[in-house]
Amino acid sequence: MENNESKLVAMQKERGPLLEVKNLAIDFTTDDKRAVHAVRDASFSVYPGQWVAIVGESGSGKSTSAMSVLGLLPGTGHVVGGSIKLNGQELVGLKQKDFDKLRGSAMGLVPQDPMSNLNPVWRIGTQVKEALKANNMDVAHEKRSALATALAGDEVKLNDSDDETFIGSTELPALLEAAKAAIAEAGLTGETAERSMAYFTEEWVPGSETRWRVADDLIKAGVNADKAWAIAKSHVTGSTMDDRIAGLLSEAGLPDAATRARQFPHEFSGGMRQRALIAIGLACRPDLLIADEPTSALDVTVQKKILDHLHMLTDSLGTAVLFITHDLGLAAERAQHIVVMYKGQVVESGPSLEVLQHPQHPYTKRLVAAAPSLASHRIISAKERGQDANALLEHRVVGEDKLEHSDAIIEVSHLTREFKLPRKKEMFKAVDDVSFSVKRGSTLAIVGESGSGKSTVANMVLKLLDPTDGTVTYEGQNISEFKGKRLLDFRRHVQPVFQNPYGSLDPMYSIFRSIEEPLRIHGIGDKKSRVARVSELLDMVELPKSVMQRYPNELSGGQRQRIAIARAMALDPDVIVCDEAVSALDVLVQDQVLRLLNDLQAEKNLSYLFITHDLAVVRQIADEVVVMQHGKLVEHATTDEVFDHPKMQYTRDLLDAIPGGKLQLGLD
Amino acid sequence: MTDMTTLPGQERYVAPLDETPLQDVDNVDESAPASSLWTDAWRTLRRNPLFIVSGLLIMFIVIVALFPTLFTKQDPNYCVLENSLGKPSPGHPFGFDFQGCDVYTRVVYGTRTSLSVGLAATILVVLIGTLIGALAGFFGGWLDSLLSRVTDIFLALPILLGAIVVLQMFKTNGSIWKIVLVMALFGWTSTARIARGAVLETKNLEFNTASTALGSSPSRNLFRHILPNSLAPIIVIGTTSLATYIVLEATLSFLGVGLPTTTVSWGGDISEAQTNLMTNPMVLFYPSAALAITVLSFIMMGDAMKDALDPKSRTA
Repeated sequence: MENNESKLVAMQKERGPLLEVKNLAIDFTTDDKRAVHAVRDASFSVYPGQWVAIVGESGSGKSTSAMSVLGLLPGTGHVVGGSIKLNGQELVGLKQKDFDKLRGSAMGLVPQDPMSNLNPVWRIGTQVKEALKANNMDVAHEKRSALATALAGDEVKLNDSDDETFIGSTELPALLEAAKAAIAEAGLTGETAERSMAYFTEEWVPGSETRWRVADDLIKAGVNADKAWAIAKSHVTGSTMDDRIAGLLSEAGLPDAATRARQFPHEFSGGMRQRALIAIGLACRPDLLIADEPTSALDVTVQKKILDHLHMLTDSLGTAVLFITHDLGLAAERAQHIVVMYKGQVVESGPSLEVLQHPQHPYTKRLVAAAPSLASHRIISAKERGQDANALLEHRVVGEDKLEHSDAIIEVSHLTREFKLPRKKEMFKAVDDVSFSVKRGSTLAIVGESGSGKSTVANMVLKLLDPTDGTVTYEGQNISEFKGKRLLDFRRHVQPVFQNPYGSLDPMYSIFRSIEEPLRIHGIGDKKSRVARVSELLDMVELPKSVMQRYPNELSGGQRQRIAIARAMALDPDVIVCDEAVSALDVLVQDQVLRLLNDLQAEKNLSYLFITHDLAVVRQIADEVVVMQHGKLVEHATTDEVFDHPKMQYTRDLLDAIPGGKLQLGLD
Repeated sequence: MTDMTTLPGQERYVAPLDETPLQDVDNVDESAPASSLWTDAWRTLRRNPLFIVSGLLIMFIVIVALFPTLFTKQDPNYCVLENSLGKPSPGHPFGFDFQGCDVYTRVVYGTRTSLSVGLAATILVVLIGTLIGALAGFFGGWLDSLLSRVTDIFLALPILLGAIVVLQMFKTNGSIWKIVLVMALFGWTSTARIARGAVLETKNLEFNTASTALGSSPSRNLFRHILPNSLAPIIVIGTTSLATYIVLEATLSFLGVGLPTTTVSWGGDISEAQTNLMTNPMVLFYPSAALAITVLSFIMMGDAMKDALDPKSRTA
């Protein structure tokens, strides 16, 4: 392994960079003809077979840089300076027609949003076929990258180009028969023979495995070389288009690929769509694959599976990957080389671990400090920060003490919610017998993947949805009995902060009106005192008073989320339900909002019910964790216990999937 | 170890700090000009030549309608038969019609009729349509089914045919209001459909859920949040349909079922002028031109509004 790696490095050195970007500058022209510098003086390089990550927050120019390599700058963007060289060929100034020749065959793309990047009216297979046809790919033979050939050179002796022929689906049964006979002939029996056959059945995927691999597998199983090659030659004679499509999809990790190829995108989950997009991106065996936040829209466990698979695949194909991500932990885990971008410039670059362990630019330092996946303990509130230097160590004790001695403010017992599915008789149980309690002044986090029922629980606690069975009590009273004045009073004490910072504020309302709304609904104060209260609240969330006259569309996502928190705080509530409140934010902003929430909790003795899919965030904010899966409560314990001694396999899977979770930091 | 694996061009690099000064996390740009949906729309409109041209034309048309005496000192109903089909002369730039009435004066006074019918019909249509559409969209369920079916039934009736039938039934006493009511009766459907769609879309946005959780009642949500956010497409269709009501009024008056002949209107004048189309086409031309310019102005205004208020639908 070591040996292989140094061989790869030697080969990379010898061949030189696959992609070389030098002093790249990209401008966008606005409506009134002003130039906005999206990227300035950016330089980085990617070597064959290497994973390079560009890390940055939204607007840092990371996607723009990557798209300029593909010649796919959106709208009014154009390269105004520098050079981009792929295999020595200059791409800046290239005509779209020439880009067409490179895209697909030399460079592939795995786009960000799996939901919108597949054509909904075409079968998945047709869309893979389109990629193959557009580049005139030979579907009967494997195209190997020079690097893969060179690396495998010593192990594999290829006689002629036909040794790269794929297995066809029609000839597979005969091939397996022949293999069975050959194994029997070689004197192998019983379990050994069965194991070999099982291995062949699994590995010999039509349209994906090639003749020399079949021969190689047979030889490894114990068949003599001449016999093995004879079988491979007579039974592996090339695949059809359909075989190749299925082969590509199964390489990307789709089970039962031949059937899946005939399905439409809406029949696929997000993860499956992303696999299909990976198959399309790699269909023509490009030397360079550009992956633009390929898994940001997916659950962490799915993300881990897909990236693991992609890593294996690109390694075996010798494909280099330019990996765009906002997650420093993920970047460090996956890539050998990291490029950090900030405000359109490369601020720091270098080997992943080195950048992570010894960040030098203040921006990188800030990123490392804020990355939730790298954090190892709960955020300490400002109050506690001020107390003494040992607060960090004492916090755990303080936290546990708090949990034991305070009473429950919200109690959820045997909560169940069923939904009627269209065209189906039986009811779908979104939430199934969930019980927990939120203790006064503490944070309980509900963690789960999409579809786990966690948001449904939040909506029932907020009394926006009525449970099918079970109860939610607030201060010992069943909230389903609240009506009229009592309900209004409950609303006053239990406030929500929602996920989408773009949707949760009325775009027609000025910030002042938005924050004032709860005061107005509950008839609190007169006009003058409300103005005073709103400016006090803005102060609390660290926003200048001048934003009062502004509208939500003028503020960033993080600022809107702070406005939403100010609105929730307006009525001095006891409980705040945060439904994925920080999921849509960049890490630095996320960190800022989490700290704000934490400070407010310490100051006002607030209780939080924190819904999230991100276990890394949980560690920063929660005292207790409830893990949900398929509507059921899987595990319920204190945060430290869940992180240090997870009891259930599902929790362990979730913890394993935290990107960069196992990286050693040299920080503290 | 590091030196061995580091490839040329991938050495450790740290940008000098003065090149990219670090800013506060997520700071507010206090210097940026304030903008809301409406100020943004206004900014877009101001730069749109379509809006400027149509705006000036509409302003002119409104002034003519409000103060016809500024433009002519004559009485539109003062007709001298001996001037029948007379050529233009000083003081009578457009000449005379068959009855010997001054064409210029009649065109000026006809503006008021057309505009008030169009405006009144549009206001009524927008009110009725928005109410029905908003109720259907907001409450959904059986009310939505009922209102949507009623909308469909009215949509299936051709507006012109319906208007002719109804106006024939009440032919006796003629006033502007009769024709306005008839147009509103058959015209509210498209507004209702658009309002329903807009309300349905806005209803599911998170800020409504947020308001409910703050303690806001459903009716408060509807009137304070959903309706104001659904207004833009309704305004757009209102502006464009104003033009169609003006045309419809002219058509009905032309067919003789619209305004009584005693009311000065472009449609009525066009109808009368057609008898002398072969001998004296200019008598037909002037009221038709006035009608065309007015309609065009409102359609252009509608397009400009659409660009500003509904940027998604903008054609490149």
